[in-house]
Amino acid sequence: MVPRFRGGKAEWLALLLLSLPGPLTAQAVVTSPAPDRVAVTVYRDPDRPADQAPDLSFLDGYALVSETRRITLPAGESEIRFEGVAENILPRSAIVTGLGDGVIERNRDAYLLSPGTLIERSLGHRVHLRRTSAATGEAREEEAVIRSGADGALVLQTAAGIEALRCTGLNETVVYDGVPAGLSPRPTLSVRARTDAPLTATVTLSYLASGFDWQANYVAHVSDDGDSVNLFAWLTLANTDSTSFPDADTQAVAGRLNRDNSRVPPAEARSIDLSCWPAGTTSDLPEEEFERQEIVVTGSGLMAARAFAIPAPPAAAPPGAPNAAMVATQEDLGDVKLYRIPEPVTIAANSQKQVAFLTRPRVAARFVFRQTVAPVARASPAPARRFMVARNRAADGLGVPLPAGRLVLFEALEGRPILVGEGTMNDRAVGEDVEVDLGEATGVATTLRPVGAGKRERDFELVVTNDRPVPVRFEASLAGGEVRRASARLSRRDGMPLWTVTVPANGRATLTYGLSTP
Amino acid sequence: MRLLLVASAAAIALAVPAAAQIETEIPPPGESAQGQVSVTIYNNELALVQDTRRLDVAAGRSRLEFPDVSAQIRPETVTLTGEGIGIVEQNFDFDLLSPQALMQKAVGETVTLVRTNPATGAETRERARVLAANGGVVLQIGNRIEVLRDDGLPVRVIFDRVPAGLRARPTLSVTVESQRGGRRPVALTYLTPGLGWSADYVALFDEANGRMDVQGWVTLTNNSGTPYNNAEVLLVAGSVGGGSIRPQPYGVRRGATGQIRGAGTETADRERLGDYYLYPLPERTTIANRQTKQVSFLNVSGAPARRAYEYRNAWLHSANEPESANTVLRFSSSRNQGLGDALPAGTVRVYQRDARGNPQFVGESPIGHTPMGSDIGLTTGQAFDVKVQPTVERRERVSSGRWRTTMRYVLTNARSEPVTVDLVQSGLWGDTRIAEQSQPGERRSADETVWHVAVPANGEASLTATFDTRF
Repeated sequence: MVPRFRGGKAEWLALLLLSLPGPLTAQAVVTSPAPDRVAVTVYRDPDRPADQAPDLSFLDGYALVSETRRITLPAGESEIRFEGVAENILPRSAIVTGLGDGVIERNRDAYLLSPGTLIERSLGHRVHLRRTSAATGEAREEEAVIRSGADGALVLQTAAGIEALRCTGLNETVVYDGVPAGLSPRPTLSVRARTDAPLTATVTLSYLASGFDWQANYVAHVSDDGDSVNLFAWLTLANTDSTSFPDADTQAVAGRLNRDNSRVPPAEARSIDLSCWPAGTTSDLPEEEFERQEIVVTGSGLMAARAFAIPAPPAAAPPGAPNAAMVATQEDLGDVKLYRIPEPVTIAANSQKQVAFLTRPRVAARFVFRQTVAPVARASPAPARRFMVARNRAADGLGVPLPAGRLVLFEALEGRPILVGEGTMNDRAVGEDVEVDLGEATGVATTLRPVGAGKRERDFELVVTNDRPVPVRFEASLAGGEVRRASARLSRRDGMPLWTVTVPANGRATLTYGLSTP
Repeated sequence: MRLLLVASAAAIALAVPAAAQIETEIPPPGESAQGQVSVTIYNNELALVQDTRRLDVAAGRSRLEFPDVSAQIRPETVTLTGEGIGIVEQNFDFDLLSPQALMQKAVGETVTLVRTNPATGAETRERARVLAANGGVVLQIGNRIEVLRDDGLPVRVIFDRVPAGLRARPTLSVTVESQRGGRRPVALTYLTPGLGWSADYVALFDEANGRMDVQGWVTLTNNSGTPYNNAEVLLVAGSVGGGSIRPQPYGVRRGATGQIRGAGTETADRERLGDYYLYPLPERTTIANRQTKQVSFLNVSGAPARRAYEYRNAWLHSANEPESANTVLRFSSSRNQGLGDALPAGTVRVYQRDARGNPQFVGESPIGHTPMGSDIGLTTGQAFDVKVQPTVERRERVSSGRWRTTMRYVLTNARSEPVTVDLVQSGLWGDTRIAEQSQPGERRSADETVWHVAVPANGEASLTATFDTRF
């Protein structure tokens, strides 16, 4: 008996395989359970801003997985099923090499074995109906033919006539004689190939998979003299796929690559959701439905289990600077930067991994207080923000590409490291300025007062106060109009007039300046 | 016939060896793997935990696991240091053991089913292969295909073992390389949210003498899910973190800086690191999970303070009826004539003695981090007897680009003593000029002008001002 199909191409193919006589049915199925070697290259989520850490319950970056498998094919046509690939594989991206011209077609079967698809595929087939008496515990079986699809009800033809499953109040279930062909437990990638003679080949399978992401986590320790930092950086990789990649050659790519929005069509796996006629009581509560909900392991339940509450994470932090025994190396790959972990490591399912990629013991750095001052309604006094400023060049102890990530800054107090700042950095190339906003200062603040207004000019007095027993460097960008005159020499930064001043210990500094009227 | 088959399958199933144990050691309750713990707590629900444990590290490569870390640990912030130890990699595994995960990982494996007869309670065992776990579990028992518990009858599923990689809780592990083997202190450092602190001030205001007594308490809370035993605790006054990465936790309002009327430049006599003031707790203490702990840090008596009234009018605001002025408590945090300390952010609760001498609550206000030497004005509530009614009297266009606006403010005082109201007109940013005013005012900032208006006892005063604006 030929089952009826409503689906697309893949199912039609399965139908052909099932029903046609001749060479097609002679096709051998070769299953490759796991790769022999695997390499994983992780790419960042291109839309995640640097100040947002990857959300470990939903990673939107991706990875390129390259696997080598040793496969033996019989002569003739065979179907090679690749098991142990990432669950979130993007099938269209798959590249299979090593089979020469033998590849006929590539398939991804996502019509999964589930209670619902079992019924769907058994339509018109003979099954067994097992009823268990709650009073005696005796189980009885009788033959039945499924007469309806799995959409909301199951109608069976038995020797007694037409009945509906589980509308009886009895404990009853359908028992099948076998699994219909073409249903797999998980989405499966398969290749149909043809060889003239038996062949043992090393096959390479490369594909993109979603559910990965990575970022850099910088840890900086301020030196005792305060004019340099010890910079350490972690490569933080995360995988939320259900597949583990043991002993994988692992890389990460920094840089922004274009990606099209290509979604993997979801796999079809149905649970059974049966509805019955009104049960003939005054209350029509669907008790059976409630019982069903206890039993059915739904797909969404599985998702929820994985997305457990994990704190939203950003940066990294240590005490005495950490000491790395393995450091990832960096190389240029076209216009992006590739970080390679020197030894194979295991990228486990649902895990996050950190490997060092940068250790620089003395990076010249300054700490300045900054503010953009505009004559608008503002908190008064307004706290300044503290910045760490460095130049990414070899002369200053750095001079390496710095991928985007979070930075944490420590300062030692009696040998105990104390966190004194946390900030974000975007991708910084060699030669660029590295400026990290460490947060709002508590002791450096400014007050802006108008001190006069002419026909074409408004005059202001900007006072910056310092409650610390040491002088601090303060930089104010003056916004809100063209600066006509100022009581100190101004420079320019990013197109805005800049007042740079060293505020004395426990003291204040004052600038008066005139802005053109808007 | 089928019953017979089931029985024979059960006989085979009984021969299966007992389920393997989960290998993780379970420490007895109350015992903690934590070593010497130091906790540094910041105002923005963030803490730095340093936990020095004595661990036996083998020479060469080994993998160390760390139980009893914060349940909310930010895994990417973990650092391990120890003598002669280099870090190869750090892993945070969160593939958790759950019924769903067990069943998912068992696809293709064989499990044991125990069916309980609904009438007699008799159990029958049989072995089954899990074929799929998608929206229901499909099983192969012998040569039959069944859906698990599809008929609603009780069936136990017994797995032979926990699949590798499934864990009881998110697990932190560090692979290290050590030059030599042996027991030594190893310091684990990480950041965790869930621990925070703020200050609480109790101010007892003596209006007759113009003095107040202030007690400051730090209140620290632990909602991180883990206790910290016998910990050295250091509180840092400040919020670490650039940009608006995390929202400010409720209760610590950075925007409350409007209470500082003039920023101080004095350094308080307290320990300091960089920009932050540090408040170490005097002795080691245990911070239990879900615990709130209070420790005193400030006790000042007889600091000068006075009550003031303040009314702030928005630009072009006319009131239909008189509005209450704010009651403001004015004081200083300077060494001379003040509290003589920097004030970490928190809430000030103000009490005043009633006619019988009992302190009564008269209002509270949040303050931001306040340097020593600052002038502070705390709005504690609204005055019953002192009111202001602002009116836009006239608004005319004098040229294509200028407007003239005349405001009248009527101030009333129902108290039996004269008061002075600080009347603030805001919204003056831009090139606003004050063309006329009935008494001189003080341009306090680009946005505001303040007039100190004396209102006689049981009397009334008024003020007019004309503004020349572009709009």
